[in-house]
Amino acid sequence: MSAFLQYVVNGLTSGAFIALVALGYTMIYGVIRLINFAHGDVLMVGSFIGYEVVVTLVAQHWPIALIVLLALLAGMAFTGGLGMLIERVAYQPLLNSSRLAILISALGVSLALEQGAQLIFGAGYSAYPNVLSSAGFTFAGARASYVQVGMIVLSLLLMLGLYLFVHKTMAGTAMRALAMDKDAATLMGINVPRTILLTFMLGSVLAGASGVMQGLYYTEINFFMGFLIGLRAFTAAVLGGIGNIPGAMVAGFLIGLIGSFSDGYISSEWSDAIIFAVLIAVLVFKPTGLFGERVAERV
Amino acid sequence: MAGVDRLRRVIPRSPRARLGAQGGLTVTAAAVALLLPLMLSTYSMSVAVTVVMYAILGLGLNVVVGYAGLLDLGYAAFFAIGAYTSSLLQLDAHLSFWETLPAAVAAAAVSGCIIGYPTLRLRSDYLAIVTLGFGEIVRITVTNLSVTGGANGLYGIPPATVFGTSIVSESGLYYLGLFFLLIAIVFTGLLSRSRLGRAWRTLREDETASEAVGVPATKVKLLAYVMGAMVGALAGMYFSSQFGTIDPTTFTFTTSVTILLVVIVGGMGSIPGMILGALVVIALPEALRPISSYRLLIFALGLVLLMLVRPQGLWPARRSRQGSFTAPLAPREVTATTATAGEATEAPAAGRPEPGSLLLRVSGLRHSFGGVIAVNDVSFDLHAGEILSIIGPNGAGKTTVFNCITGMVTPQRGEVSLRGERSLLKVKPHKIVSLGLARTFQGVRLFEGLDVADNCLAGLSAHQGRLVSRHGLLGRTSAQDRREALRWLTFVGLAGKAHVLASELSYGDRRRLEIARSLMSRPLALLLDEPAAGTNPTEKRELMGLVRQVRNSGVTVLLIEHDMGVVMGLSDRVIVLDQGAVIAEGPPRQIRSDPRVIDAYLGREDREATEAVGEVSE
Repeated sequence: MSAFLQYVVNGLTSGAFIALVALGYTMIYGVIRLINFAHGDVLMVGSFIGYEVVVTLVAQHWPIALIVLLALLAGMAFTGGLGMLIERVAYQPLLNSSRLAILISALGVSLALEQGAQLIFGAGYSAYPNVLSSAGFTFAGARASYVQVGMIVLSLLLMLGLYLFVHKTMAGTAMRALAMDKDAATLMGINVPRTILLTFMLGSVLAGASGVMQGLYYTEINFFMGFLIGLRAFTAAVLGGIGNIPGAMVAGFLIGLIGSFSDGYISSEWSDAIIFAVLIAVLVFKPTGLFGERVAERV
Repeated sequence: MAGVDRLRRVIPRSPRARLGAQGGLTVTAAAVALLLPLMLSTYSMSVAVTVVMYAILGLGLNVVVGYAGLLDLGYAAFFAIGAYTSSLLQLDAHLSFWETLPAAVAAAAVSGCIIGYPTLRLRSDYLAIVTLGFGEIVRITVTNLSVTGGANGLYGIPPATVFGTSIVSESGLYYLGLFFLLIAIVFTGLLSRSRLGRAWRTLREDETASEAVGVPATKVKLLAYVMGAMVGALAGMYFSSQFGTIDPTTFTFTTSVTILLVVIVGGMGSIPGMILGALVVIALPEALRPISSYRLLIFALGLVLLMLVRPQGLWPARRSRQGSFTAPLAPREVTATTATAGEATEAPAAGRPEPGSLLLRVSGLRHSFGGVIAVNDVSFDLHAGEILSIIGPNGAGKTTVFNCITGMVTPQRGEVSLRGERSLLKVKPHKIVSLGLARTFQGVRLFEGLDVADNCLAGLSAHQGRLVSRHGLLGRTSAQDRREALRWLTFVGLAGKAHVLASELSYGDRRRLEIARSLMSRPLALLLDEPAAGTNPTEKRELMGLVRQVRNSGVTVLLIEHDMGVVMGLSDRVIVLDQGAVIAEGPPRQIRSDPRVIDAYLGREDREATEAVGEVSE
C-alpha cells in the first residue's frame, strides 16, 4: 500500500509536468491542426534558460524563493517569445500548404532547436544547482516533499488560469471559435493570425514553466530532454481527445500515473511501450480519445 | 463511321516526346549508378550503400504516405522486423540469407496488418501517434528481450552470398543494394499503376466519396501498410547483411523521421523522387562533414527552408501521372464503344429487376443527432424504373435519409431493405454500392487531384474489390474497364475531357462526372442529392435530359431536390418531408395542390416574408 501511494505521489508530480506540455500540443492542434513536434524542444529551451538564471543568481547568493520565481518567469517569457517566433517563421507561411509540409517544417524546427542547444550547452547533462529543500511529510508510508506538492499546485494554478483565460476572455473565445471553424471565425472579424500567435505564446509559456520546474525537480537536463517528455505529452494530448483542453489536463496526470506505476511495478525500460500500448488500446475502442474531440465531418 | 473519327479525335495520343526524355534520364541515371564504384572511394561507397538503403525505405514508405496518404511515423519498425527476422533465422535456424527472404517479408506483412488494424477507424492525425507508438513498442521490445540480444543486438550474422561468393566489399554491397532497389522500384511502380493504386489515390483525395463509389476502404488501407511493410523488410535484410551486426539503436524514431524526410523532400508519390530524396537527406549531411558541428543544424534549417519554398518536394509526382487513357484504343474497341454508347446498359451483376417491382423499401426510419430528430418514422417504397423525388425544406432530413440508405449513417430505428428481402442496415457503404445503390453528394465530391478518366474508373471499384482475380485490385486497368468508362463519359458528354483534372472542370461538368462515376458501378438505382443546386437554366435543362436518359437506360432514380421545376418535370412520384416526417406522397400534380405541402413548403416563403415585413414595420 505504501509503495502504491508513493507511486501515486510520483506519478502526479510527473503528470503535472506532462499535463502542462500536453496543453500546448492540444491548443496548437486546435487552432491550426498541426502536431507541433518542436513543442517538446521549446520546453527544453525553457529549461536551459531557467538553468542559466538559477546558476547565475545562486552564485550571487540571492534568496532561493526569488531565484525560483525569476527562473520561472524568465523561462516562461523566453519560451513565449520563441513560440511566437517559430510560428511566424516556420508555420505561418505554410498554413495553406499541405499538412505534411508543415509537419516536416515542425520536425525541422525541432531538430534545429536540439542541435542549437547542443552547440551552446554541450551534449552532456547540465545539472541545476540543488536549491530546493527536500523536506516533506509522510502519510500511510508514502513520502511527499513540499516541493512536489508545490509544483503540483503551481501546475494546477497555471491550468486554471489557462482555463479561465480560454473561457472568460474575448481572446479566449476567439481561440475557441477559431478551433471550431476557421472560415466562420474570419468572417466574424476575428484576427486569425494574431489569435494563432497568441495560442503559440500561451502553449509555449506553459511548456517553459514545465521545463523550469522539471529542471528544478529532476536537476539534470540535456538538449534531448524535450523529445522524451514531448512524446509523453503528445500521447496525453491524443489520449484526452486532441483539441480538448480539460481532456489534455486529465490525460496528462493519467500518463504520469501509468508511467509511475510501470516504473515501480514492472520496469522503467518498458514504461514507454506500456504507455503507447494503453494509448493504442484506448483508441481502438474510442477513436476520438477518452474525452472526445469536437470535430465532426459533414457528409 | 463518323462516330469513330470523332472518338479518335477525343482520345489523345500518348505523350511520346516526354517519355523519350524520361527514358534518356533513366538510362543515364542507371549507368551512373552502375559505374559509381569505379569513381568513388571506399568511404564514399559506404555512404552510397546507405543512400541506396534509404531509397528502398523511402519507396516502401512512399506506398503508405505518398500513394495512400496515410501518415506513418513508425516505419522503422518494419525495417527492424525485416532485419531481426532475417538475422535470427540465419543465426538460429542456419538458413541462408536468401532463404530468409520470404519469412522476413511475411513477418513484416503480418506486422503491417497489426499496425494497420487499430488505425483503420482513426482520423489521419491520430495515425501519427499510433504509428509512432508502434515503432517505439517494437524498438523497446527488441531492446529488452533476450532472444533479440537486448541492447547489444545480434552479431555474427553471415554476409549474403551470391553464386557462392560472399558479399563483403563496399562495392559488392552496393550492387546487392541496387538489386534490392530495382525490386522495390518495380514492385511499387506496378502497385502505383494497379487498380489498388487508384483506390489509394481516391482514398487520399476523399475517403467518404471513395467509400461511396465502392472502394473497400479498410481493406485498401490495410493493404497500404502491408505492401509498404514488405518493402521495408527488404531494406532490413539488406542492412543486416552489411555489418554482420544489428542493434536497436538503428531503429529509432529518428530513423522513422529520416525515412519520412526522404519521402517528403523527394516528393510524395514519385519513384525518382525517392532516390533524389535519399541522396539529399543522407548524402548532403555527409558532404557537410567538414563543418561537422553545424551540419545537422544547417540541415534542419535547410529542411524548414525547403518546405517554405517547395512544400511539394524536389521531384513531385505528376498529378495525373497514370493517364489511364494514354494508350490509344484500338479501332475495334472504339467501334464497340460507339455501338453501345447510346444503347441501354448491360444488365448489372444482380440482374435487372422487372419494371414496377419493389426495389428498395424504407420503413419506420428514425435518426436523431443529439436532441434534433432528423428523420422521424419515414417509410416509402422505391419501384424499379421510376423517378421518385424527395422534397422538403432545408433541415427536413432528406440527406439523412440518403445517408441511412447508403450506409453512411446507421439509423437508430427502422429498416432499409433491397427488394424487401436483403436488409441494408449495418452494411458498409462500399458493399451497398456493389449491391446496386449508387449515390452522388449534395456538394459534388470528386477526386480533385485525379483526371476525369480516373474519377470515372474509380466507379468500378465496387466490382473490383477482390485482391487477386482478373478484375481484382492487383490488376491493371483493362481495355474493358476503359471501354466502360468511355461509354459513360460519352453518355454524360465528357468523353473529350478524359484527361482534364477534376478540379479544373466547370460546375456543370463536375455534376455530370459524378453521375458518370456512379453509373460505372452498374447500379440498380441512382440516388441523386440535389443535382440541380447551383446550376443555371441551361444546365438545368441538360441535367433533366440526362436524368431521363439514365432512367431510360433502365436505372431507377431517387432524387432529392429543391428546384420545383426539376421535381415536377421529372418525377413519377413525389414524397414531401417536413421536420423529419413524411407529410405527403403522390404524383406531382396531386402534391402541387396538397394543402399540407403548400403550408409546410411551397407557400412558406411568402408567409415568412410577410411576417418579416410585419416585424420590421412594427
